[in-house]
Amino acid sequence: MTSVAVPGAPAPVVAAIGARRDYVRERARRSLARRRLTSRVAVGLCVVAVAISLAPLVALVTDTVSRGVRVLSANFLTHVPTPPGIPGGGISNAIVGSVIIVALASAMAIPVGIAAALFLLERSGPIANALRLVADIMAGVPSIAIGIFAFAVLVPPGGFLSLGHYSGLAGSAALAVLMLPIVVRASETAMRSVPRDLWEAGLALGVRRSRVVRSVVLRGALPGLVTGNLLAMARAVGETAPLLFTAIGTELFTASPLQPMAAMPLVIYEDGTQALPAAQQIAWGTALVLLTLVLVLSIVARLVAARLNRQAGRV
Amino acid sequence: MTSTLLEEVPPPRLTPVAGVNEALQRRRARPGGRVYAALRWAGATIFAAVVVGLVVSLLTSSSQAFAHSGIGFFWSGTYSPSKDQYPTGVFIVGTLVTTAVAVALAVPIGIATAAFLSEVAPRWIATPLSIAVDLIAAVPSIVVGLWGLLVLSPAFAHHVEPFLKTVPVVEWLFHGTALGPSMLLAGVVLAVMILPTIVALSRAATASVDVADREAARALGGTRWQVIRTAVVPGARTGIEAAVFLAIGRAMGETIAVAMVIGNSYTIPHSLLSPGSTLGSAIINNFGEANPGLDRASVMGLVVVLLVITALVNVGGQLLLRSRTRTAGTRP
Repeated sequence: MTSVAVPGAPAPVVAAIGARRDYVRERARRSLARRRLTSRVAVGLCVVAVAISLAPLVALVTDTVSRGVRVLSANFLTHVPTPPGIPGGGISNAIVGSVIIVALASAMAIPVGIAAALFLLERSGPIANALRLVADIMAGVPSIAIGIFAFAVLVPPGGFLSLGHYSGLAGSAALAVLMLPIVVRASETAMRSVPRDLWEAGLALGVRRSRVVRSVVLRGALPGLVTGNLLAMARAVGETAPLLFTAIGTELFTASPLQPMAAMPLVIYEDGTQALPAAQQIAWGTALVLLTLVLVLSIVARLVAARLNRQAGRV
Repeated sequence: MTSTLLEEVPPPRLTPVAGVNEALQRRRARPGGRVYAALRWAGATIFAAVVVGLVVSLLTSSSQAFAHSGIGFFWSGTYSPSKDQYPTGVFIVGTLVTTAVAVALAVPIGIATAAFLSEVAPRWIATPLSIAVDLIAAVPSIVVGLWGLLVLSPAFAHHVEPFLKTVPVVEWLFHGTALGPSMLLAGVVLAVMILPTIVALSRAATASVDVADREAARALGGTRWQVIRTAVVPGARTGIEAAVFLAIGRAMGETIAVAMVIGNSYTIPHSLLSPGSTLGSAIINNFGEANPGLDRASVMGLVVVLLVITALVNVGGQLLLRSRTRTAGTRP
C-alpha cells in the first residue's frame, strides 16, 4: 500500500505516513459507500413518490373518461334534461350556458385586465406596487367569496346594480372578478417580456405612445396574452362556487343571460350528489365534456404560444 | 477623462425648422396619448373598485351578524340557524385540519416528484410526464370532487379506513365508524387537487436552477442526492415555497370538492374519520336556504372569516417571497 515515501525519511515516519494515508483512504471509501447508499435510497423514495402521485391522477382521469364515455352520445349533447325518472335527456342547456357565461366573463375581464396591466407596465411607484400586491392576493381569494360578493351586489331585489333575480349575467360577473387578477398578472408578465429596446426604438422614431403600445408591445406580447387569457378561461369554465348563487342553474334551455342559466359544473354538483345512479351517470358524462373542454383550452393555449413564438423567432 | 472632454464641447445650437414646434404641439394635443392614458387609468380604477367593492360589500352585509353575536360569533358551539348560531369555531378547525392533511400528503410527495422529473428522470420520461402534470393541474375541482365522492369514498369506507384503524401508533387518529365521507377523505381529495399544482410549480422552480450550481456540487464529489439536497432544492427554495403557499391557499378556499366528501356534520370532530365541515362547505350548504336578514348575514360572516384567513396566508406568502427575492438579489 505504502508505495511512495518521503525520500530520506526515517522508517517509522514513512510507516506513519503510510498508515495515515490508508486510514484516510478507508474513510473516504466508507463515506462514498454511505453517500451512494443514501443517494440510492433517496432517489428510490422519489420514484415511489412519483408512483404515489401519479396513481390518483391517472385514476381520476381514466375513471372520468371510462364512466363518462358510457353516457356520451349525440342525444346527450343536443338535448335538454328530462324530468327525474324519465330516461334520456342531455345537457345541451348546460353546455350552451357554460359557453355564454364564460364568453361574457371574458368580454368583461380581458379588456379591463389588459388595461390594468398596461397601467402596471407604464407606472412604477407605490400605487403600481400596491395594485400588483392586490392582484396577487386577489388571485388567492376563495372563489366562493367572489360568488357571494356577486350575489350580494347583483341578485337581491332593490340593489343599485341588481337585476332582482338569479341570472347568467351575475354568474359571468362573478367569473370575470375571478379571472381579472389572473388576466392582469399574466398580461403584465407577457408584456414585460417584450424587450425594452423595441419599446424605446418605437418612441425614438417619434411614434405616438399609444401606437407603440399597440404595434410593438401588444403585438410582441401576443403569444403570452393569448396563452394567459385562454388559461384564465379554462380556469373559469370549471369553477362551480361562483355560479352556485348567481347563475344557479336551470333545467330549461335559455340563451338569455338575464335569466337563470345552466352550467356544466352546476350539473355535476346537482346530479353527482344525488343517490340515483341515473343522475350520477349524467354527472359523469358532464364531467367528461367539461374535462375535455378544459383540456382542449389548455392545450390550444400552449400550442398557440409555441406557434406564435416560432413565428416571432423567424421574423 | 472623456467625460470632461465631451462636456467642453458646446452644445450645438438648434435652429428650429419651420413648423417643428407647431407639429410637436399638435402631437401633444392629439387625443391618442390622452385616450391611452385614460384607458390605463380606467383599467386600474375598475380593478381597484372591484376589489374595494368586494371587501366593502362582504363586510357590510355581514356586519349585522358580528354586531349581533359579537366575538361569540367565533365559538357559538351549536348549529342553529333559527337562533342565528353558527359553530364558526368548528368550521375553522375543519378548515385547518383538512388543509393540514392535504399539505402533509401533497407537499412531500409533490416536491419529490418534481425533483425526480427535473433531476433524475431521462428526458423521454420527464417531458411527457411534465406536460401531463401541467394539464392535470387544470382539471376543475368539481371533477376531483365527483371522483372523490363516487370512487374514492366507497374505497375508503371498505378498504382504506378499516386498514388505517389497524395501523399501530397512529390508530388513535382514526377512531369511529368508517363511513367514507370524513375529514380524512376531504383532506385526501384536497391533496389530489393541489398535487399537480405543487409538482408543476416546483418543477419549474427546480428546472430554473443554474446548471453551474449542479456542476459545482457534482465536481465536489456530491452524489445525485447530494446535488439535489445541496444545490437544487436551496436554489429553487423560493419557487417551491411559492408553490406551497399557493397550494395552502387553494386548499383552504376550496368549497365544492370538500362539501361533496366531508359529510357535512356540525359537531366537533373527534377523529379524522368523523364527518365534519369547513368554512367553505358550511357556506355552500347554508347560503341557499338562508333567509335575508340575520340568517344570511351570519353566512356572510363565515365568508368574511374565510376571506381573512386566506388573505393572511396569501399576504404572508407574498411578503415572504418578496423579502426573499430582494435579499437574493443583493447577494453577490
